[in-house]
Amino acid sequence: MARAHRGKLYAALAVAVVAAAGINGAVYPLWKKNFAPKTADYSGLSPDQLLFAFAGFRELIAGILWVRADSYFSEGNYDAILPIVRLVTLLDPHQIDVYATGMWHIGYNFTDEGSRSDRRYIPTALALGMEGAKNNDYTYEMFYEVGWMWFHKIDDFYENSVSWMEKANTYDDMIPARRNILNNCYQRNGEVDKALDYAYGLLDKAEKNMKNDREFSARQNRDTIEGNLDNLLVRMSQRGYFAKGAPDRNLGIYDTDNPFDVGFSARVTVVSPKVIVVQGTWGVQPVGTRIRFILRDANFPNALPAGMKWNQGTQVELTPPKDQTFLQDQLFVRNQSFNRKIDMSRDLTMYPFVDDKYLIEFYYNPRSAAIHIQDKFGWSGEGMADKNFLNQEIRPAQRVIYTTLSLTRDQILRRGEWETKVPDAQTKNYRGIKAPSTGSDLITVPGLRGPSSAVEPGDIPQAGGMAGTGEGGG
Amino acid sequence: MNVVLSIAKTTTGEAIRRRVLMVILLIGLVLLVVAPGMEALSARQSTTVLRSLTLGVIQLTSAVIAIVLTVYLIPNEIERRTIYTILSKPVQRWQFLVGKYLGAVAALALMVAMMTATMLIVFSVVGKLTLGSDMVDLAKVPLMFFVQMSLLAAVAVFFSTFVSPIVNFFLSGGVYLLGSVFSSLFEVLSNNKELPAMVQAGARLVHSIVPNFQMFNVQNSAINAGPVIQNEQLYYLGSFGYALVYVMILLIAGILVFDRREV
Repeated sequence: MARAHRGKLYAALAVAVVAAAGINGAVYPLWKKNFAPKTADYSGLSPDQLLFAFAGFRELIAGILWVRADSYFSEGNYDAILPIVRLVTLLDPHQIDVYATGMWHIGYNFTDEGSRSDRRYIPTALALGMEGAKNNDYTYEMFYEVGWMWFHKIDDFYENSVSWMEKANTYDDMIPARRNILNNCYQRNGEVDKALDYAYGLLDKAEKNMKNDREFSARQNRDTIEGNLDNLLVRMSQRGYFAKGAPDRNLGIYDTDNPFDVGFSARVTVVSPKVIVVQGTWGVQPVGTRIRFILRDANFPNALPAGMKWNQGTQVELTPPKDQTFLQDQLFVRNQSFNRKIDMSRDLTMYPFVDDKYLIEFYYNPRSAAIHIQDKFGWSGEGMADKNFLNQEIRPAQRVIYTTLSLTRDQILRRGEWETKVPDAQTKNYRGIKAPSTGSDLITVPGLRGPSSAVEPGDIPQAGGMAGTGEGGG
Repeated sequence: MNVVLSIAKTTTGEAIRRRVLMVILLIGLVLLVVAPGMEALSARQSTTVLRSLTLGVIQLTSAVIAIVLTVYLIPNEIERRTIYTILSKPVQRWQFLVGKYLGAVAALALMVAMMTATMLIVFSVVGKLTLGSDMVDLAKVPLMFFVQMSLLAAVAVFFSTFVSPIVNFFLSGGVYLLGSVFSSLFEVLSNNKELPAMVQAGARLVHSIVPNFQMFNVQNSAINAGPVIQNEQLYYLGSFGYALVYVMILLIAGILVFDRREV
């Protein structure tokens, strides 16, 4: 080839290199925006899986791994599922089933001997769900799942369940029946007017939908919405919601008037190393009260009153901190008292007790109360009182019951001076409970002739109209 | 031009007659036919898994065909001394090289088309495809694989002008991996401010020099439901242009090397 031709070729080569770089710079962002896999992490794959993943079979490998995870579910080998869930979601970030199932698995399935879930995993479950929502923002599903975890599992800070459910509701593919949940979220968040407007909106849509869709499910959904709306209107009326909004229509005493003193008191006794008994009083006769009980490191990171900062970002950390203790349980009230034994001695990884000091929290929020009890207490605790432990600070615009007690590690582990002495911590007003003589499952229904024989008169404050008369039953 | 086309035609004919390529193609076709059997891997997302598998088979098979087809193009001619017969006629070396490349690309197109047709037939038979836009959207993916493999073939042709077939096989395969799987890694490294400047610069250099093969991977949108593709025409035009320019770069470089080589 002539030198002149070679020179031309070199020049053409240089021009082409510049052109290629320019085109790459312009087109590559378009590719990334439209076609790039959202996440892809190949660490943790075996060599054969790695080869397949390299070759572009990410979704296939994800499917194979998920089948393997399914077998672990059957065997109850829950720990083995966690890394697979993570790997599958990294390989194929569009596996909504894996995100949803993995989130539920992490949030609910890691339990101790007493079937209490390990709350240290909740931030991880939320992080996974939020990642799933971000990677699958074309459908409502993961937004709904995250909202549901706030609503059902965390069961507090309801503004989060509202925001996630509202986001899910913006999608057209959301199943009609699932749209009803937002109504409950609004109510638990104290946004009753919004709940009412939303229910009317749902009913309008359901009726229009029923005209176009003659399927039974369309009629059933419409009837459900109507039933929910009726219940909401009755509750709003009974709880004086309308009357308070228009004083000229106030007809008298409503269920939430004359706040009822629940007479809360509690005592925690360490009966043996890592085994505690929690007893106390709660002067509400109708069955259905569950008081939240938390025992945690006094210096637990991200702790909030009666909980923790559940949303700790989008980092999916599969191993919870091994040196932190956070127990959360429910104290079920029967016969105006509670008496629960909590054994933490068999689950070393869940309750490591490394810290020196521990905080015990008792928390009751009417927003998560059973409906028949909420009828007396109201959505925000306006019908509830307690002369010792009513708290209006830890949850803005809400009246909740909240108090704390303290124990040390030596007390919980029964070491040192506590080897022979029985440690206990109690509220100042605790004066003991009388356990029902015929067994703890027996519910004593008070008669018209006087208070229940199962409860010591004087132990339980009888102020207000709830105990014994059934007045607060709604 | 006739010379180039004559060489291309002959090369295509030779490629089709090569048994090793036929065996690779046959394996690919068999895998495509049995792919629906993998549906059990995911009850709800069976279509996703099936599409991932079939498109993966086409991509992998095409890559192997592209490399095997082209690494022997020049060395075989030299080894069998047929190149002397060709170059003794009024045929320029660049015409020989370009003709060989075009012939290989035509053979590649034929094989990718066969696999695409098989995939579409399988999808239609198992009821995972509706005629019309769905079919067109799915067919776009193998089309982009073809463009990607044409670029890979150019890489292998360039290397075949100065290295042996075995070395070329691993070199081309390595470049393909660097430009596809590891491209994101180099991009991340080049943008990581915490790394030493030298490492960042090195990663940026590799990311810039190595052909960006992953830019032709559009299967993600065909496998998973997702948002509407934006500026689709611009993307396709741009990526075709990128492939064309890069193929030109490799062929010019190959011509320059081959022109000085003693055969």
